[in-house]
Parts: sequence; structure tokens; C-alpha cells
Amino acid sequence: MTNALDVVSLRAGYGAINVLWDVSLTAETGKTTVIVGPNGAGKTTLLRAIMGLVPVTAGDIRVNGQSRKGAKTWDTVADGVVMIPEGRMIFPDMSVEDNLMMGAFPRACRAGWKRNKAMVFDFFPRLAERRDQIAGTLSGGEAQMLAIGRGLMEQPRVCLIDEPSLGLAPVVVDEIFRILGQLRADGMTIILVEQNTSRALKIADHVHLMQSGKVVLSERGDAVDLDRLHALYFAHDAA
Amino acid sequence: MIELTLQALFSGLLAGGYYATVAVGLALVFGAMRVINLAHGELVLLAAYIAYAAESRYGINPVMAIPIALVVVASASAIVYALLSRIEHDREINSLILTFGIGIIMTNGILTIWAADIHSTTNPWFQDSLVIADTLFAMNAEVAFFIGGLALMAGVYWWLNHSWQGRAVRALTSNRNAAMLMGVNPRQTEILSFMIAALLATFAGVAIYTGKTVFPSLGHVLTVKAFIITVLAGMGSIHGVLIGAIMIGVIESLTVTYLSASLQELAGMLLFLVVLFVSPSGLFGGRRALAR
Ligand SMILES: Nc1ncnc2c1ncn2[C@@H]1O[C@H](COP(=O)(O)OP(=O)(O)OP(=O)(O)O)[C@@H](O)[C@H]1O
Ligand SMILES: [Mg+2]
Repeated sequence: MTNALDVVSLRAGYGAINVLWDVSLTAETGKTTVIVGPNGAGKTTLLRAIMGLVPVTAGDIRVNGQSRKGAKTWDTVADGVVMIPEGRMIFPDMSVEDNLMMGAFPRACRAGWKRNKAMVFDFFPRLAERRDQIAGTLSGGEAQMLAIGRGLMEQPRVCLIDEPSLGLAPVVVDEIFRILGQLRADGMTIILVEQNTSRALKIADHVHLMQSGKVVLSERGDAVDLDRLHALYFAHDAA
Repeated sequence: MIELTLQALFSGLLAGGYYATVAVGLALVFGAMRVINLAHGELVLLAAYIAYAAESRYGINPVMAIPIALVVVASASAIVYALLSRIEHDREINSLILTFGIGIIMTNGILTIWAADIHSTTNPWFQDSLVIADTLFAMNAEVAFFIGGLALMAGVYWWLNHSWQGRAVRALTSNRNAAMLMGVNPRQTEILSFMIAALLATFAGVAIYTGKTVFPSLGHVLTVKAFIITVLAGMGSIHGVLIGAIMIGVIESLTVTYLSASLQELAGMLLFLVVLFVSPSGLFGGRRALAR
């Protein structure tokens, strides 16, 4: 079976500054792949490169076996690869409902937007209560729920999620991970970037550790020894 | 006395309506592209001259000339967009230089083709006066284009809030990368906003040709006025533009009535400075909202 995502010897960065150095990793269809790593390791850059938001200088990105190198972001989205970005990036001047409708912007998602909205409101009843509120006035937790909900409106086949628990209260983190667990159980292909390693490992089928623009460890989720992972994780800081 | 004031307010309201039609186009393009099109007033003027050419040469009613003018103005807008989208670095400053240059070229083109004379419609209906409630006077053209302009702006407002593409314009205004992650192709959305600006410019141009007079240097005046109104409103707020335009129109008209016509431009400018002094982000520019 082809993988949902193959990243092959990828190099990417910001103009003169190269960030990713021959990154290779795979994500299996229907599985949850977790990418961990310290600040500045290049996790966000990797997701941005997959989405075509950062130029790729070498290597390849394949989605369901098809090369997406150099593809435009909107075409990638239309093919069902969705990114829920770090820092949420909701549209602060729009209502909660309009934000969700933006998620349904890809042509294939428009017809089913009402059904998908009902599903999102089932996941996050808080959003239903606040549907007419201007998104810029939501709390951090609510804004993250909106970002996830907006991503789900795009009917992802492959869903890239960048640090959804960042800066949130423990109860909200619980709720977010409960939803992620549910999406995983429903068979969605998830690529999750997280700093909260112990939480992320609980839902991981596969784990990659990134450091300084490289993948330094790839293991099955159930084979990962948390102590060893943490030792490797912090080895970078000591070096 | 009271009648004089009411008349001044009424005339100001009508003028504000057409100022708004000009300014909303500028604000829309700014919202989608973060570019101030300094040739926008010249596009309005181009529409006015197309209406003039159609009427003087072929006897076409200016209202019937709107579709013809629209084709010309939309084509010119498409060229402006094509040139703008080739800018790769420092888009803010380079787009100002580029569009300023395009404006000068257009003004001189108009001057070459149609000479420096002042023109207005020769169709008497437009300039016939309409009396409302026995006291308020206006020309047919002013009232007709005021109502038409409001309807057009209401349509744009609805489009921004309730259509897929309109929401995409607002998303692009708010966060370009996030909009792309929703599947928005910025180029498509930008072209669309340029075309809607062209529609508004065409309408405003024909309104000026029928209700006022046109001459080659007017484009520049219109650009400046639209720019002031857009900043006054708080860049990108559509209903702010309407209110700001009416404020400018009313202030100008009160100045003409009670002080002197020569102070008209000064009064609008003073209002602009006072508002910016009190609220630097404009009347409604708190969060750069488009249409909210
Ligand atoms: N727009 C940019 N321009 C230049 N360099 C950048 C840009 N964005 C990120 N970088 C650099 O790229 C490197 C990797 O950043 P990236 O955001 O991918 O890390 P990360 O693993 O996501 O970190 P974090 O866990 O803090 O989110 C960092 O050194 C960062 O400074
Ligand atoms: Mg990051």
C-alpha cells in the first residue's frame, strides 16, 4: 500500500537560510505520525514545505505516491492535504461561522459544508455557542478549537497539525487530544507536530524526532522508550 | 436659513455617494492586495470619457454606454493588474510608483485623444432639476446615480459577507498564508477584486460625466479624494468608506454654501487631518476589517 506521505531527502528553507537538511520520513495512510523535536528543529518548516508555503530546493514530497514538489498551496489543499497551522491563524475579523465557512472554500467541500459544520459543532459545542462571535475575541482554547474545526471543514485526507496544545490550559489540552484520538479512531491520516511528547506518544502509531533540520530517530509508537527519547531530545541542547 | 442648510446637507449627501463609489473600489483592491492603486481615479475618468465619446460621436445615451465603458475600464484594470503582479520585491512602495506612473500616462493619453476641454452630457434629462418636498433641489443624474451607487455598494457589501469569493477576499486581507491554506488562489481573488473595482469605477465615471463636468486632470483629483476617504474610513472598511465619503461630501458642501467655493478642498482636508489626529487608524480601522 502506498504511504499517505513520503518526504524524500528534502531540503527547504527561507531564501539564503536553509533549514531542512535531507529530511526523509513517511506517514502511513490511516495512521497517526507524530513529529517531535526542540524549538527551531524545523518541524513547522517541514509542514510548510509540504504545503508549498516554503520553497523546496532538493528532494521530493509525495502524497499518495504522487509527487507534489512545487505544487501550489491551493492545489495541494484541493487534493485533501490540510494544515492546521501553528499559532492557529484564524481570521480574527470574521465570525466563528465565517471562519468555518472559509474552511469549506475548496470546491469539493462546499456542497457538504452544513453537514461538516454540524460535525464540528458536535466535536466542539463551545463553537456552536459562539458561532456569531468575532473570532478575534475568542479565548486561546476556543481559537484552537476553531482552527481545528476550520481544518476539518476542508475534509482532510491527510491532516497536518502543528502544536495544537501550545499555550493552553490542561483541561483544554485534554479536550484537544480527545478529539485527535477520535479522528485517529475514525481512520484519518494525521501528522502531528507536538512538544508535549508524553501526550503525543499516547496516540502515535509512528514517531519521528527532528533536530537541527534532520530526522534523528524514527520508531514505531509502541516501541518508543520515553526516557531514551527525552535523552536524545535534550542531547541537542547540551551539544 | 434652515432651507439653505438642508439643501447643503442634501447636496453633500449626493456628492458623498459618488465619492464613495470611487473610494470603495480603491479600498477593495487595497484589501485584497495591500496595494493602493494610484491610477484608480484615472480609470474612473476613462469611463467618463468613453461615455463622452459614445454620446458625442454615436449619440449613445450615457447610461447605455456603461457596458462599453466597462469593457474598456476592465481591460485597462487587467493591464494594471498584470503589471502589478510582476512586482516581486517591496510591493508597497513599487506599486505606488508603478500606479502613479500609469495614472500620468492615462491622463496624457486622455489629453491627447480628447484635448483639454471640459465636457458634460448634452442629454438634457440628466441635468434637469428634480424638486423633493418643494425645497430640495438636485439634478436627475445626481439622484439616479446616488441610488444606483448605493445599490451597487450594497451588492459589494453583500458579496463580501455572503459569497465564497467575497469571504476569500476578506480572508486574504486578514492573513494571506492562512487564506492559501483554505485553498484560496490569491491571484484569482485579486483579479476579481480588480474587476469589481472596475465596475464601480465605470459607474462613478458615467455619474460624473452626466452630473458634473469632466476634464483630463480630474483623474488625479479623484484618486486623492478616494485615498483620503479610504484612510479616513480606516483602510479597508467598506461601510466606513461610505460614511467617510458622505462626511467629506457634506463638509465640502457646507463650506461652499457658507464660506467660499475656493475653500471646498481645504475643508475636506482639514476634516481628514482632525480625524487622523484623534484616531490614527481612521474611523473604523481598528482591526483592518473589510466589510465588518
Ligand atoms: N520566515 C523565516 N525566515 C527565516 N528563518 C526562519 C523563518 N521561519 C523560521 N525560520 C528559522 O528556521 C528554523 C526552523 O524553524 P521552525 O519554525 O521550522 O522550527 P520548529 O521546529 O517548528 O520550532 P518550534 O517548536 O519553536 O515551533 C529556525 O532556526 C528559525 O529561526
Ligand atoms: Mg513550529
